[in-house]
Amino acid sequence: MNDDEWLRAFGAELHQRRVAVDAARHVIAEAATHLREGGGDPWLVFGPPQAYAAAIVESIGTAPGPRPGPVRLHATGITKRYGRRTVLRDATLTVRAGQIAAVIGANGCGKSTFLRICAGLISPDAGEVTVAGRLGYCPQQGGTIDFLLPDEHFVLVGAGQGMARGPARRAGRAAARQLGWDAESTVLARHLSGGTRQKLNLTMSTLAAPDVLLLDEPYQGFDQGSYVNLWDQLARLRDEGRAIVVVTHLLNQLDRVDTVLDLTPAQQGGRR
Amino acid sequence: MNRLVTVAEMTLRELVRRRGVLLLLLLMPLTFWLIRRDSHVGQSVRALLLGISWAVSTAALFATSAARELEPRLRLAGYRPHHLYLGRMLGLWALGLAVSVPFFLLTVFDANNLRYAGIAVAMLCCVAVAAPLGMLIGALLPREMEGTLLLLTVVAVQMLLDPTSSAAKLMPFWSSREIASWAVDHTDDGYLSRGVLHAAVVTALMLVTVAGLFGVRLRRRRHLRHAPLV
Amino acid sequence: MDGDRRGQWLRGVLDLCVLGLLHDGESYGYQLAQALDTAGVGPIQGGTLYPVLLRLQRTGLVTAQWREGDSGPARKYYQLTDDGRAALRHGGNAWLAFVAPVTHIVTKGVDG
Repeated sequence: MNDDEWLRAFGAELHQRRVAVDAARHVIAEAATHLREGGGDPWLVFGPPQAYAAAIVESIGTAPGPRPGPVRLHATGITKRYGRRTVLRDATLTVRAGQIAAVIGANGCGKSTFLRICAGLISPDAGEVTVAGRLGYCPQQGGTIDFLLPDEHFVLVGAGQGMARGPARRAGRAAARQLGWDAESTVLARHLSGGTRQKLNLTMSTLAAPDVLLLDEPYQGFDQGSYVNLWDQLARLRDEGRAIVVVTHLLNQLDRVDTVLDLTPAQQGGRR
Repeated sequence: MNRLVTVAEMTLRELVRRRGVLLLLLLMPLTFWLIRRDSHVGQSVRALLLGISWAVSTAALFATSAARELEPRLRLAGYRPHHLYLGRMLGLWALGLAVSVPFFLLTVFDANNLRYAGIAVAMLCCVAVAAPLGMLIGALLPREMEGTLLLLTVVAVQMLLDPTSSAAKLMPFWSSREIASWAVDHTDDGYLSRGVLHAAVVTALMLVTVAGLFGVRLRRRRHLRHAPLV
Repeated sequence: MDGDRRGQWLRGVLDLCVLGLLHDGESYGYQLAQALDTAGVGPIQGGTLYPVLLRLQRTGLVTAQWREGDSGPARKYYQLTDDGRAALRHGGNAWLAFVAPVTHIVTKGVDG
């Protein structure tokens, strides 16, 4: 395990222990500087990542904020049929302020449908959704406008909340920076790479500071670094008290979520 | 108001950047004009008006289809349905007027003995009707191809129908044909007033239908309840 | 056995040592570790040192800021605060008052 791997493992441990994102970044940077200057094996200098993370938590504590907070999203008994095929049966999910929920399951098990029902974009055949506060929704794709610049997207979305142009642009760029993307470009959305367009998509959904954020596989086309940035950003939003629902089929980041809803049908072929 | 203007502005920006589409928009009425140029000037004026109608409604159709995925999102971001369809319509009307100006000048310089005010009014009517018509078709038919074909049918039928038949009066662009008669053939003022009235009624009808469609599509779903933030 | 005992002593006074070193002026983690080694306190690993620095920072005895050095990468520099100076005086006196009798007692055994 080289320095970078140790640092990455250490970072994951800090996140898991709910150390505030910015504090964690400083600690990781300081450890990296130390290793660069002094050399040496991180396992000897700092010890195992878990142990060092535990020592850090003991020194600086974990992220403040009430947790779990009040319920922000409550979906009960969601059932959806397309023709004779039942896509969702009696799905239930509760997410509180300051929580990240993951919706997982095999392809075609209705993850996106469930999210769209939560967002109020389609109606279920049965069930109810209660949302407290403002909703933000990031579709899997197609949420951007090909012939507009990133800035114009921010202005358009911001105006919905009565935001003036300047603040909307600044808020958009700041949110993009958190994802490691400099949005001050003069490139039309259609010329952005898949991963960057997805960052634009994501930035649009967080711009209006929603209380409940629904994300449908938001990391399509992301490289490793962007992927880490995304989860940092989600942790930051969670620590600010947002309720976040992420549809995902990647299981390795589940250790960074608070609740999991598995939509894989319990019994195959048991449809009525 | 700000939301309305922002949607209109972004619609315009988006359309203006589609250079290819814009070029074809301008090319179509021009070719219509040129093809009929040698015959009676009334023929070429009518062809030009139909060209403008076709061009603007196609632009409206494409703009509506392109925004299909985005609109639910903007709705969540705080827009009401009327901001979205009225804003888009305003943008399209502005584009239609801009496209009409060079063609109006074309008639002024390339043809004589016309009531130019009539030409201008006819163009206004074309643009007024075309934007909501394209949006209506775009809202009804999810695929651009189907929409384009339907639009083509409407314009072709409009072109082929005898304007004096009662069926022709049911076509959306009948107004421009009436007003063109007044402008080119110096017919009585009844043609002008009938045309303007027809355009106003058709535009209003189309607008109400578009409003209804958008209202339904972007409605608040009954299963989703909003609780106060605690 | 010796290492263990040494470790226990260090845990008790490392924060005082760090405050003492910062009394001479601001410094950063790696430099502090080297200074402690040079002074003969022994090699201090980063895993021991940084949690102490973070605790001192959290309790307001030191402040820290990231800065580009004259050469090399950006480093987190720590400075002593007025509270830190008071804590050093107070804790230092307590340590001296503790260590003097211990030295006195232990010396006889060592000499004998």
